Amino acid sequence: MAQLTPEEEERYARPLRHQPHGVIGLIIVLGLFMAVMYWLSHRPADSGGSEAAPVQPVEPTPSVGGSAGLVPDDVRLEDALSEPVEDSVYPAKGGPGVDSLHYGLTLDWQPSTKTLTGEAAVTFRAAADAENFQLDLIPELAVSSVTMNGAEVDFTHEGKDLVIEATVVEDETYAAVIAYAGTPQPVAAPTSRSDIGALGWHITDTGETWTMQEPFGAYSWYPVNDQPADKAFYDFTLTVPSPMVGVANGELLSRDEAGGVTTTTWSLDEPAASYLSTVAFGDYVMEEVTSDSGVPISYWIPTAEPNSGKDLRALASLLTWAEAKLGPYPFSTLGIVLVDSESAMETQTMITLGNNSYIRSKEIVLHELIHQWYGDQVTPTDWRDVWMNEGMTMYLQGVYEAEQEGRSVNAKMREWAEYEVSARAADGPPGDYDPSEFGQSNIYYGPALMWHTLRRDIGNQRFWALVRDWPAAHDEGAATGGELNGSSDRDEYYAWVEDQTGEELTTFFDAWIMGAETPRE
Amino acid sequence: MAQQNPSRDPGALSPDDIDDLARRARDGDRAALDQLLAAVRPRALAICRSVLPFSADAEDASQEVLLTIVTKLGSFDGRSRFTTWMHVVALNAARSTYRRLKNQATPTDGVVLAERLAKPDPRTTSVIAGTRLDLLEAIDTVERTHPQLIEPLMLRDVYGLPYDEIARLVGSPVGTVKSRVHDARKMVRPLLAAGN
Repeated sequence: MAQLTPEEEERYARPLRHQPHGVIGLIIVLGLFMAVMYWLSHRPADSGGSEAAPVQPVEPTPSVGGSAGLVPDDVRLEDALSEPVEDSVYPAKGGPGVDSLHYGLTLDWQPSTKTLTGEAAVTFRAAADAENFQLDLIPELAVSSVTMNGAEVDFTHEGKDLVIEATVVEDETYAAVIAYAGTPQPVAAPTSRSDIGALGWHITDTGETWTMQEPFGAYSWYPVNDQPADKAFYDFTLTVPSPMVGVANGELLSRDEAGGVTTTTWSLDEPAASYLSTVAFGDYVMEEVTSDSGVPISYWIPTAEPNSGKDLRALASLLTWAEAKLGPYPFSTLGIVLVDSESAMETQTMITLGNNSYIRSKEIVLHELIHQWYGDQVTPTDWRDVWMNEGMTMYLQGVYEAEQEGRSVNAKMREWAEYEVSARAADGPPGDYDPSEFGQSNIYYGPALMWHTLRRDIGNQRFWALVRDWPAAHDEGAATGGELNGSSDRDEYYAWVEDQTGEELTTFFDAWIMGAETPRE
Repeated sequence: MAQQNPSRDPGALSPDDIDDLARRARDGDRAALDQLLAAVRPRALAICRSVLPFSADAEDASQEVLLTIVTKLGSFDGRSRFTTWMHVVALNAARSTYRRLKNQATPTDGVVLAERLAKPDPRTTSVIAGTRLDLLEAIDTVERTHPQLIEPLMLRDVYGLPYDEIARLVGSPVGTVKSRVHDARKMVRPLLAAGN
């Protein structure tokens, strides 16, 4: 997308309201119109439905976990039960009909032909009675067959809407196996951020691949209910010609080489939202360390760029820092895979990190690490609440930066207050941002300052207890009546904070999250 | 997701980056001066727009701000943030533009001028509750008798700086600054338009 000329920038520039505490900054609305138009013209069209294909009922399996052979025995599917929703910001992606429980992804990558051949075994709970159900998958990946309980079923695939013709009964569990192949194309990103050109599966000049997909885009490489309320377990079997190797979320269970092909299997033992999945194929050297707290850490460093791995080794000590603030790391493994991106993503247990000095800095690595608690362990059910991820993560990043710079957090936050005024004016309140400007500074600074203000109001002890307890409160597991790695929204968050602190905070939260201007303190 | 690298966007340089550019520009680095002007240009315009309601006037004033920065940069001593220093420069430029417009006005185009200065521009917003014009008038009035109150008032209520930074900038103790702001507010308030 074209950048604005200086003249256009000036036309869009607008001044700020009086800001009694912070500092008057200034805003350039970076091509809001153009971004809206771009996004509108690139988003996949809604499907008109699939009325023609015959409906073939499938016998529901008797209970959760009954998708014979497709799900490893040790996966407790009930821990992936979610309440899927239609997203309020990006309603075209994902939907309320399918509650995915487990994705078994068998992916083969051929760099020479740029062909991805996949078989996705999707185990799910039907969230409603229906004569068909829908997953997202880009049209460039052609589906050759869909089977349920071993029998082929009909499907239509228009735009990104893969509609599978099978009658499903609410709360019964099913498994669909979808075979597909093609050259994945990333999807347009709903933002003008220059470090995020597109979302999903990227292919480099040398035939290596990587993915980043916040707020959506997993459907550019597998059939998925691509909305964050719906978390699921993942298992991966990845094959690629050696010396490339496939890297994914979770624990590396096996790595074999035979006939010039490297096969890796990976298992993610806690449910994840689709935007937190990751797969990369590349020529990597792997290094392993163990954190002070005993977490196994792996670094996947491009063989051609051994020096780029130097910065990553800070992760182990950053984990010690984070655990002192947030409590024990919530997952069983941790890693970083370095890829040819200009951004960084908190993909669950395996951080996907772009390979430039800004992204490899300790601050950014720490940011993605903090997200393992704020974002991955507790995840927003709707994209309107992405500030719940970025606010606390940014705040902790700021606390760390202040420590490193030898100055007070207050001084750091005063500096950020200047950015916050500009950011809010440019891209709206953190909790009501322009859907075509995802991930702008407004979701980072304002909520970070809000937490800093709350900390001053309630004191360190109560504040840090809140910081630790919120993610932990969403990690109780179905066995104890809670959710393993659960989801939440602002209403629940507000009520919880009020309950924990005994403070009435309706006005406080509303002003910070929905206010057109930075609140007075 | 990582925040976008703030230094990619010249309008979003950190205060430290801008200070660094300003020092290099002051010491004769021509490229740094160009970068500095590009970085602070939107900010200069915003400050002027916050005072001058008609955007063409604000643009004139912001040009004056940039020229003043170039000619006065040698006097930037690095004690305050460059953005703070330039804010004072910008407010003065906006005020002198306003005075010039007022002085240039002849009886025949007085109506036009009044309209022009009072015309609400949808892209501008008030810096303080109330119109900008009564604020400018009030500041001029108070300045005649109490010039030492104006800078602290502007820095606090227009720029929104914390008291300790204002104190550092004007070279007075915090207590003095607070009482000057207090006194200035007391004097300015009755001069502002009714209802504000």
